[in-house]
Parts: sequence; C-alpha cells; structure tokens
Amino acid sequence: MRDLWRAVAQWAAQFWADLKTSTDAGVLSVARFLGLLYGPIDARLPIAEAFRKALGYRLAPHVSWRHALGGIAYLLFILLVLTGVLLSVHYRPSVQEAYPSIQHIVSEVTLGWMMRDLHVWAANLVVLAVLAHMARVFFDAAYKPPRETSWLVGVGLLVLVLAFGATGTLLPWDQGAYWIVSEALNGVAGVPLVGGVAVGMLRGDPIVSGATLSRFFAVHVIVLPWFAFALLVFHFTMVRRHGIAPPTHPAPGGGGETGRRFFPNHLLRSFSVTAVVCALMITLAVFWPRPVGDPANPAQAPDALVATWVVVDVSRALTHYLGAWGFVGFTLLGLSLALLPLFDRGPARDLRRRPAVAALGATFFLGFILLWIVGSRLRSRPPGLTFERPVPAHQVGARAP
Amino acid sequence: MRLVLALAAAAAVLPLGAADAQQREGPSVEGLADTTYGCVACHADKRTAFVLGVHAERGIKCHDCHGGDPSAFALPAAHRGGFVGAPSKIATVALCGSCHANPDRMRQYGLPTGQVAEFRTSRHGRLLLSGHDLSAPTCTDCHDAHTILRPDDARSTVYPANIPTTCARCHEDKRLMAKYGLPTDQVERFRKSAHGVALFQEQNFAAPTCVGCHGSHSALPPTVAEIANVCDRCHRLVGQAFDRGPHARAARTGKLAGCLGCHSNHDTERVPPDRITATCTRCHAAGTRALALGAEIQRSALQATEDLRAADSALHRLTLAGVQTGDARFRYQTALTAYLQIGETQHSLDLERLGDLSRRVRSISRDLRGAAEVAEERQWEHKLLLVPVWFLALASVALAWLTLRALEGRTRKA
Repeated sequence: MRDLWRAVAQWAAQFWADLKTSTDAGVLSVARFLGLLYGPIDARLPIAEAFRKALGYRLAPHVSWRHALGGIAYLLFILLVLTGVLLSVHYRPSVQEAYPSIQHIVSEVTLGWMMRDLHVWAANLVVLAVLAHMARVFFDAAYKPPRETSWLVGVGLLVLVLAFGATGTLLPWDQGAYWIVSEALNGVAGVPLVGGVAVGMLRGDPIVSGATLSRFFAVHVIVLPWFAFALLVFHFTMVRRHGIAPPTHPAPGGGGETGRRFFPNHLLRSFSVTAVVCALMITLAVFWPRPVGDPANPAQAPDALVATWVVVDVSRALTHYLGAWGFVGFTLLGLSLALLPLFDRGPARDLRRRPAVAALGATFFLGFILLWIVGSRLRSRPPGLTFERPVPAHQVGARAP
Repeated sequence: MRLVLALAAAAAVLPLGAADAQQREGPSVEGLADTTYGCVACHADKRTAFVLGVHAERGIKCHDCHGGDPSAFALPAAHRGGFVGAPSKIATVALCGSCHANPDRMRQYGLPTGQVAEFRTSRHGRLLLSGHDLSAPTCTDCHDAHTILRPDDARSTVYPANIPTTCARCHEDKRLMAKYGLPTDQVERFRKSAHGVALFQEQNFAAPTCVGCHGSHSALPPTVAEIANVCDRCHRLVGQAFDRGPHARAARTGKLAGCLGCHSNHDTERVPPDRITATCTRCHAAGTRALALGAEIQRSALQATEDLRAADSALHRLTLAGVQTGDARFRYQTALTAYLQIGETQHSLDLERLGDLSRRVRSISRDLRGAAEVAEERQWEHKLLLVPVWFLALASVALAWLTLRALEGRTRKA
C-alpha cells in the first residue's frame, strides 16, 4: 500500500515537473514568437528571472519612429487573425450560403460589421505597411549582410500577404468579388508559359464557381496561416539574432550614448502606437465600410468593377496600361529587389553611394503608389462579354445607326 | 539538307490543304453533282445558288420546275419535252402552288398549304393576279428563285431579322411606291419603334416584324376597325383594358383609329407618363372633362413611377447596407407588378382601379424606404462608438507618456 502511495506520489511529482517544463517551454515559445526572447533556453533559470534578463536590455540609440513600421504591419496581421477567426465562426464557404452569411454578419451578428470592415481595412493597410517597412529597410541598407535572411523571409511574408488578399477577395461572393477574381484569373491566364496551368488549378472549373470558392477558402484559412506563422517566427528570431541594423551615418564620436530600455519604455511607446492604430482602424471601418454588393451572378457582368483591394488596383493599372508583359515586368522588378541582398553585398550604406540600387527601389516603391492611385480610378468592363452576332451580308450597311 | 526539310514540310502540309479544299466544296447533293445531269453544263451558276437551298436537300431538280430534258447536253434537245424555262411572275404562283398548295405533298414536311390562297387575298396577289400588274411581287421576289432557305436560317431573306430589309427592297423604292401612293419611310420608322428596337438591338424575335401585323402571304394593311384586334394578339391585357374603356366605343364606330390614335403605326411609340396629357390634347380640347381625366391619369402614373424609382433605390441602399433583402425583393416585385398593371389599366381610363394600383406601389415603396432608413440609421449609430474608442485610445497614450516621463525623470535623477 505504501509502495503504491509512493508510486502515485512519484508519478504526480513527475507529472507536475513535466507540466511545469512544458508550460515554461510554452510560455517561452510564445515569448520567442513575439520576438521578446532570443537565445538558448536555460531550463534551470526561473521564468521570472528569464523574463527580467530578456526584457531588461536596451535598444540601439538610433532606433526611431520609422522603425515602428514593421511592428505596425505585425499589429495589422494580429488584427487580421483575430477578426478572421471571428468571421470564420459565421461565414459559410459555399455558393448558396456565402453571400447570405455575409449579410448575416453585417446586419445581425453583434459588432459583425466591425469585424468585417476591420478585416477589409487591415487587409488593405497591411500591404502598404509591409511595403513601407520594406522601403525603410531598403533605403537604410538594412538588408546587407548579415541580415539577408531577414530580408528574404520578409519578402516571403509579403508574398503571403498578397496571397491572403488574393484568396480573401473572392469570399464575399458578391458581384464585385466574383468578377474581380474572374478578371484577375483571366489576367493570370495571359501570363506566358505557366499562366494557363496555374489558373486551371486555382479555378478548378472553366469559370469561377463553387470549386474556386472552396479552394480559395481552404488556402485562405488553412494553408496560408501555417506558412505565415512559420515565417513570422523565423523573421522575429532573425531580428533578435542580428539586432537592428546600424545607422547609415554613424555618429562621429562612436557610441557612448545608450538607447532606450526595452521594458517598460519601449513597450509603452509600442502600446501607444497600438492604441492609435486600433482607433484609426475602427474609424476607417465606421466611416468607409465595404458595401455589400449584389450577389454574384455568373450570367450577368456588372457595369463597372470596383476593386476593394490595393493589389487588384495595382495589377489592373499594370495590365491596362502596359499589358500582360508590363505585369510580368513589374513583378520581375519586385523580384529583383527581393533577391538584391544576394548581389548587393558591398559595405556602402549611404544612399548617395549606391545610386543604381536607389533608382531601382524608388522606381518600384513610387511606381507602386502611383499605380495604386491610377488603378483605383480605373473602371473596367469584364472581358469576354460582347456577343458579336453575324450580320447577313445584304443587311450590312442597312442597319440602324 | 535544307531541301529535304522543305520537301518534308510540303509533304506534311499538302494533304491538310487537300482536306480543307474538300470541306469547302459545300454540300454535295446527289444527282446535281452527277455529271450525267445535262442542265448544269450551261447553268452552273444556277446550280451553285440552288444547292444552298432547302429544295436541293429534298432532291428537287431543275427539270421539276423548268421542264426540259436533263439527259441531253446540247441545246435544242435539252429544251424539249414540256420545257418551261423561266416562268412568268403569274405562272410562278401556280408553279410553286403545284406542290405547296397540295396537302399530300406538304404533310410529310409539316408545312402549311394555304400560302397561294392567302396570296390571292393580299394586296400583292390582287395586283398581280387580278390586275396583271407586273410590278407586284410574286413568290420568288421574297423567297429568291433558287436559293430558297428555311425561315429559321439566318441567311434567309425571310428570317425575322431580315424581313424588314426584304420588304424595304420595294417599299423604300420611291419611284415604285409613287405609283401606288405609298410612303417609303416605314422601315426607317419601324427601326426606331419599340418593336424595331426589340428586334434589331435586343435580337428579340418575339417582337413583330412587318409580317407580324400585316401578315406574310396575305399582306394587307389592317383596316381601322381591325387595328385593335391586330395589336391585341400580343398586347392581350392592354386590349382587354381598352375594351372596357370609352375609347373602345369610339374605335368601333370608326371615330378613333384604334391603338394608332395614340401610338401611330410604324413608330409604335410609347407614351411616357409625362406625355399622357399632351397625347390627350390631340383630340380633346382644353377645359373638357376628358382632358381633366387625362391629367388625373398622368398625375397618378408619374407618382407611381416616382414611387417605384424610390423603391428601387431603397432596395439598392438596403443591399449596400448588408441587410438580407429576400423579403424586400419580393415586395419590390409586387410593386413592379402593380406598376406594370397601371400601364395596362390606363387604357380603360378606370381612375378607381388606377388609384388602387398606385396606392399599392406607394405603400410598398414607403415600407422599403423606411427599411433603408432604419439600416442607414444603424450605420450612423456606429459612429457613436468612436467616442469611447478614441477616448480609450487617447487616454492610454496619455497614460503611457506620463509613465514614460516619470521613468525618464527618475533615470536622469539616478
């Protein structure tokens, strides 16, 4: 009996120790995920001390507000995850139910309209935030060794953000969503060599249909999040490992000054940014809600397509003014910037000493903003809807004007 | 090496080209492709036109209509043996009728046999057969002599969309029509009419062409007393309403040209709600009771149009606001039905029924507008949420900055 009691006590102690370890590991992994921790985990160190050690460090003295852009992009991502999960509770991804479920969310679910409009606005602004963050990194030459990995992973995250948006555009299943995606897929089909095959797999049907909706939904809520979380952990770990890039113009004195403490000073500043960004997002959602269009109707194209996602505007401006090759060209320009750290490895950080790179970067980032403005003003008719009827030969010329 | 390649390429292409040429040859009709058939030795052009038509498909040959001896290849022999040659206009009617007026021949094709009898009653037929006026058309003038196509063949001269052009070949000829004192602007006016727009622009073949009102083989303008009946064939509900009203009496006694009194014949123009009174003044003098009634009808129609437009806009606003609109759409359909009934009921001049219908439109429109306003008000209420949101945000920022200043002061002191 006593042996049994001892065995139970031993097992309980073991269980408690296991639980404690795994909880510590869990808490620590969350801390690592948030970018608060970096380095090997000392299992013997009490967690409170570990946090004190991790949080007590000081930031580089040249860290300023423009370094907040990456954090804002992450904040918008968190907003997207939270609102996305809440939306997925009420959204039903089928041809029959998608549109009514959006109406249900907007008009019947408590604060459902806010979830949806925050999701839409964050989806737009996260693209701009990521691009602004990338432009900051680019012009600060922060992608140079040893931080190439951070840059490449960041580019991967940009691609994911674009993929999230592209798949999310279809989900409302209204006329705008349906025809924008139809037009976009037709555009992709025009891409030389790979376009046709890619569209065949994405669409799953000769036209955008329930098969497309299922595919886009699965990719949007199951496939992409896994990649996004993995890349985010990777990105933050790299940021902690290599630290913030040194200033482009180092102070002549060479240090001496100390930066802000991470805790609580920096976190308080981050908290202020978070509060203002959240309030701004809600303001945008209240004043400019995304209208619910007419339900998707494959048999009837709308008079004008109104895009609600910045990337669609940019792509449309590209294909409208420069054609399919313009789209490919701009994508290649973006890709060349993405791969730049593999080639541009010199020590020069000052913009004036790397004019070619600066010109490339300016072309892409300013071009993107310009195309966005132009594209948001374009009103296009969907393709393939003019049915030209053959006119009997003797009737040609006799037709009414 | 290059020569070999070129030869190989030519060898690969040649059979393809040959197959293509064979396909372009057109339908090969047994008998007519036959080199023992004599007529085509001289009349190859007629053969080319004829094989496109429906008669070649049915195995009809040249000599079935033209007589002669198709086994002969030289002239005196070929044109012997009951040779008809090109039949005269009058003979053509009898020639076509020899098969087409025979129920035993036509039964198998499901074709009517009354065309020749109808043609005799038409203006065309009377001019040609009784008046021996050779300017009047015979069968082949509308159907072509050799390339006779089915009416549902888009190349056919009697295909619905082609009929106005076929009629216009003569009826737009000013010199020819002057002989009969007929105007030549019918087709031009028809193109602009509701019927012409439906036919030519909307490709709606339910819309009548010339033959829809005048008849095809029995073509004749309807008399004044007949007009209401002609329009009534399609506009049944309007016709019934018209029969209930006072205008029907005037039409029966010949005082009013039926429907044409307001809508004219080839223009068949709509009378929009704001033109009702103006139309009444064509017959009714100012200050009469009839004109007051017209003004009342116009007011009611205009009001209903306005109400329906408001309902449509409310429905759109409801959609934009994300409200489930199934019920609203159903109610809008009800309003739309009532609105269309107003269009019909106008023709009976029945003010009571008109009032009923426009009240129905108005009541639904008011409900929908109310629902849209409620939805928009709810969106406005969302703005109130901004007060606590910004209060919390600014308070947090202020708190954070106060804490930061206190912290930095402490650090400086230390």
